[in-house]
Amino acid sequence: MSIQEQYRKKAAELLSSGEVKLVIGYGAGTTPDRRRPLFVRSADETSKLHLDAACEANLSGYLVTEGLLADRKKVGIFLGPEGIRSVNILASESQLDPDQIVIMGFNREAESVSALEGSNVRDFPAMLAALKEQAPGAGEQALVERIENMTPEERFTFWQAEFEKCIKCYACRQVCPMCYCRRCIVDNNQPQWVQTSSHTLGNFEWNLVRAFHLSGRCVECGGCDRACPVNIPLRLINRRMAMEVLDAYDHFSGMSPDQETVLASFKKDDPETFIL
Amino acid sequence: MAKIGVFICHCGENIAARIDCARLLSAMDDHPGVSVSLDYKYFCSDPGQENVKKAIRENNLTGIVVAACSPRMHEATFRKACAEAGLNPYLCEIANIREQCSWVHSDREKATEKAIDITRSLIEKVKRNNELQPIEVPVTRKALVIGGGIAGIQAALDIANAGQEVVLVEREPSLGGHMAQLSETFPTLDCSQCIMTPRMVEAAQHPKIELLTYSEIEQVDGFIGNFTVKIRKKARYVDMKTCTGCGDCIQKCPQKKISDEFDCNLGKRPAIYTPFAQAVPNIPVIDKENCTYFKNGKCRVCAKACPIDCINFEMQDEFVDIEVGAIVVATGFQIQNTAMYGEYGYGKYPDVITGLQFERLASASGPTAGKIMRPSDGKEPETVVFIQCAGSRDPSKGVKYCSKICCMYTSKHAMLYAHKVHGGKAHVFYMDIRAAGKGYDEFTRRAIEEDEASYLRGRVSKVWQENGKLMVRGVDTLLGKPVEIAADMVVLATAITPQPDAKEFAKVIGIGCDEYGFYNEAHLKLRPVETATAGIYLAGACQSPKDIPDSVAQASACASKVIGLFSRDRLEREPVIAMNNEATCSGCWGCFVACPYGAIEKKDILNRSGELIKRVAFVNPGLCQGCGTCVTFCRSNSIDLAGFTEKQIFAEVMGL
Ligand SMILES: Cc1cc2nc3c(=O)[nH]c(=O)nc-3n(C[C@H](O)[C@H](O)[C@H](O)COP(=O)(O)OP(=O)(O)OC[C@H]3O[C@@H](n4cnc5c(N)ncnc54)[C@H](O)[C@@H]3O)c2cc1C
Ligand code: SF4
Ligand code: SF4
Ligand code: SF4
Ligand code: SF4
Repeated sequence: MSIQEQYRKKAAELLSSGEVKLVIGYGAGTTPDRRRPLFVRSADETSKLHLDAACEANLSGYLVTEGLLADRKKVGIFLGPEGIRSVNILASESQLDPDQIVIMGFNREAESVSALEGSNVRDFPAMLAALKEQAPGAGEQALVERIENMTPEERFTFWQAEFEKCIKCYACRQVCPMCYCRRCIVDNNQPQWVQTSSHTLGNFEWNLVRAFHLSGRCVECGGCDRACPVNIPLRLINRRMAMEVLDAYDHFSGMSPDQETVLASFKKDDPETFIL
Repeated sequence: MAKIGVFICHCGENIAARIDCARLLSAMDDHPGVSVSLDYKYFCSDPGQENVKKAIRENNLTGIVVAACSPRMHEATFRKACAEAGLNPYLCEIANIREQCSWVHSDREKATEKAIDITRSLIEKVKRNNELQPIEVPVTRKALVIGGGIAGIQAALDIANAGQEVVLVEREPSLGGHMAQLSETFPTLDCSQCIMTPRMVEAAQHPKIELLTYSEIEQVDGFIGNFTVKIRKKARYVDMKTCTGCGDCIQKCPQKKISDEFDCNLGKRPAIYTPFAQAVPNIPVIDKENCTYFKNGKCRVCAKACPIDCINFEMQDEFVDIEVGAIVVATGFQIQNTAMYGEYGYGKYPDVITGLQFERLASASGPTAGKIMRPSDGKEPETVVFIQCAGSRDPSKGVKYCSKICCMYTSKHAMLYAHKVHGGKAHVFYMDIRAAGKGYDEFTRRAIEEDEASYLRGRVSKVWQENGKLMVRGVDTLLGKPVEIAADMVVLATAITPQPDAKEFAKVIGIGCDEYGFYNEAHLKLRPVETATAGIYLAGACQSPKDIPDSVAQASACASKVIGLFSRDRLEREPVIAMNNEATCSGCWGCFVACPYGAIEKKDILNRSGELIKRVAFVNPGLCQGCGTCVTFCRSNSIDLAGFTEKQIFAEVMGL
C-alpha cells in the first residue's frame, strides 16, 4: 500500500472512530506539482487527501488557529520532520497541548515519500537527533559561506539590494508557524519601532526583527522563502541564525516539547564573556 | 500641554569648562515644551535646589530635566526637591552631561553639541513620563549571616546585640574559620584561639542567634527585606540534641590515619571527629568518605562507644527554608595552592610548607603542641627561609594583587620562630615590606631588630635538596648579589585567594565578583560593605584579602547597615516595575523563563461563563525588580517597564 493510501485509511479511521475531529492534510492544487492544505472533517472526504513529494508546506501553523484546540478535542495532521519540530516549539511555548495532536508523519527524499513511525510528537527523538547531527544541504551551505566570506560592506550591499525589494506584504510572517503572536511587533504603532512603509530602513528593520525573533525557533521549513513574492532568500538568514544558536548554545530548535526557549533561558554557569 | 523646566548645572568647572552652558541654555529655551530654563553653578547646593523648587511652583511645571552629573549621584536629591515643590518625583529626569560628556571630551564645540542632544532627548522623555507612586514592601526582621569565621561571628553578634534575630550558617562542623587555625596574631602576638573562642561561645549561646553549622546555602530567592533561603543541613550522623560532646566515640574510632584538614594535613584524625578541641558546637561529625561503616558496611564502633546512643547512620541531609530581610556574606578565603612554583618544591619536599602550616606548627593546640619541628623528621630547624609573595604580585604565574597580610604574618612567623627556637636563624626574602596599619611597621621592625630576622630584598629562583638540607638560591637586590642559603625548612607566604567555590556561590546568592572570585562591593570607596544587590552585604576576606582588624571592622559596618534596614517596618521601593498588556500577550512564557526573579505568573483569562479563553503573563509587583529582561524578550511587545516605557525610550531616542 502506498503511503498515500495508508494515510487516507488512517485518517478515515481516526475520523470515524471519533478520535480526532479534524485531519489537516494536503489536497490537490491548481497543477499536479502543487498541493494545497486540506481540512478533512469526515471519513468519506479522506479520498481527497494527497501525500507525495509535492507536499512541501509545513501545515503546523494551522494548529494555532484561534479557538481550534479550545474544545480539547484531538486533531490529526500530516507533518514532515520540520512540521514535527514546529509542533514541539509550539508546545514548548504553550501554544498547544502536544497530546491533542495526532501526527501522520512523513519524510520526503527526492521524488519519494516514506512514512515516519509514531503519532505523538514525543515519538520521534531518534529522527530529530539524527536531523541535528546531519550536515546542512551543500548548495545552501555554499551560499551561506559565500555571503560569510564577503567583507562587511559587500554583505551590506548584498542585503540592501535584497531588502530593497521587500514590499512588506508580511507573507513570510503569515506562513510561519512560529509567528503566532496576536499582535506582531510591527503592528505596534505606539511607539512605531518598525517603519511600515517599504523603504530601505523600514525593510531592514522588519527583516532584522524577523530574523531575531526566529533565531533558535525557525525549523527551516522554507515556508517564508517560498511565500516571498519578491524572492528574497530568507532561508539564508534563517540558516545563518540556526548555525549561530547551534554553535553558541548547542541548540537545535524543536527537539522536544520540553525544550527551553534558547534566548529566554539562562543557566547559572553560562559564560558571560560579553558582560564587562 | 507640557511645561518643562530645564536646569543646567555648571558643577563648578566640572561641566562649565568643557560645555558652553550659555549656548546650551539658549538651545533649551527654544525647545518645544520648555517653559523655563536656568543655569547655576551648583544646582545640588541648597540655594540651587531652592531655585528648582521655586521654578516648579511659579511655572506650574509638568516635568523637569536637570542637566548635571550622573543620576547615580543626585537623582534622589532632585526627586526630593520635586516632591517638596508638589511635583511627582518621577517627573524628574537627569541628563548626564558630566560623566557622559564634559569629563570625557576635550573639544568644547562638539561637547556642547552633545550636551544639547543629551538634554533634548531627556526633555522628550520627560514629556511622556507618568506620575508613579513608590511601592511599599514589608521587612522581615531577621538576618542571615553566611560564614562563621571571625567576620561572620562579629556581624552576627553585633546584629543580635541590637536585638535582631540572626541565623548564622557555617558549612564546616565548627565555627571559627581561619582564625581558629592561627597560633598568635600580629601585631600584638596574643593567642588567636584565646581571643576567638569566647566569641564563638558567645555566638552559640546568644538567644537571638540561631546557629546552623555543617550547613550550606542551596538557594536564595526574593529581594531586600524579603529573601527566602533554602539551607541544607548536612547529615552529621550524630544527634545534636542528645550528644554531650564526651568524645568517647572519637577515642574508639579505628580509622586514625585520616589527614587532618584543620591541621593543614600535618596531623591525623579519626573518621568521627571535631575539627579542634574548642570546636563550637563541640559535637562530632562522621566523615562519610572515610568511615569504615559507610565504606564496607561493618564497624559501628563509635555507636557502641557512645553512652547515650547519639549515633545514627541513617541520618539524611535536611532542608529548611527561612525568611530573612538581609544577608551578610562572610565566606572568607583560602590560601592559593603553590604547585605552580615547581621550583620551590612544595609538595615535593616535605619541609617546604605554607604559612598556614607554620601557624599549625606554632599553635599550642597544633599537631606538635606548639613546637617548631620539621614535618620530615621532627627535628628542630636551625635555619628557616621565609619566601614572601609566593604567588602574590605575580601576574605571570600567581595573582596580580598584593595579599596584604603576608608581610605581617611572615614577620610574626620569624618572631615566633626566634622565640621558640633559641639560636635559630630566620631569613626572609621579600619584594617590599608593606606594613601599613596601627603598630604594624613597629612590629616588622621588631622582627628585624630585636628578633634578628635577616631580611633579603629579592626573589628566590630555586629550592632543592642537598645533603639533608634545603638549598635556597635567590638574589639580594640591595647588594646586587646572588645568595644561597642552606635551610632546614622553607615557609611560603602563599597568596590569599577566594574560596574555591566563590564564583558559583556568587551566582547562588545573586551578587557579582571580580576575575578572581572576590565579591564586588557596590562602590569601592563610598559603599564598601554593600553589594550591587540591595540587602546583601559583605564582611571579611571574601571581598578582598584582609587581616583580623579589617575583617572585624567591616563586619561591624555590615551590622550597622542591617540594623539600619531593620529599623523600619516597611521599605519603599522604586515603582519601576514591568506591566503586561493582557490583550496582546500571546502567552508564550518567554518572559516567565527569562525573569531572573521569578516575578512572572500565569494568569487565566476567563469569559463570563467561566471558561478559559487564554492564559497570559502577570507581573507580581512585589517580586519584580524592574530589570527589564522580560521587556527585551517579549516578541509581541506586550510587556513594558514603568518609568522606562517603550514610548518614553522611543521619544528619548528620537529626541537625539
Ligand atoms: C597564614 C596566615 C596567618 C595569618 N595571621 C594573621 C594575624 O596574625 N593577624 C591577623 O589580623 N590576621 C591574620 N591572618 C588573616 C586572618 O586569617 C583573616 O583576616 C581572617 O581569618 C578573615 O576572616 P573571615 O571571617 O573573613 O574569613 P575566614 O576565616 O576564612 O572564615 C570564613 C568562614 O566561612 C565559611 N564558609 C565559606 N564558604 C561558606 C559557604 N558557602 N557557606 C557557609 N559557610 C561558608 C568557612 O568555612 C569559614 O569558616 C592570617 C592569615 C593567614 C593565611
Ligand atoms: S522562518 Fe520561515 S523557514 Fe523558519 S519556521 Fe518560519 S516559515 Fe519556516
Ligand atoms: S514575504 Fe518577502 S516581501 Fe513580504 S514581507 Fe516577507 S520578506 Fe518582505
Ligand atoms: S522587569 Fe520583567 S524580567 Fe525583570 S524582574 Fe520584572 S518581571 Fe522579571
Ligand atoms: S513574552 Fe510577551 S507574549 Fe510572551 S508571555 Fe510574556 S508578555 Fe506574553
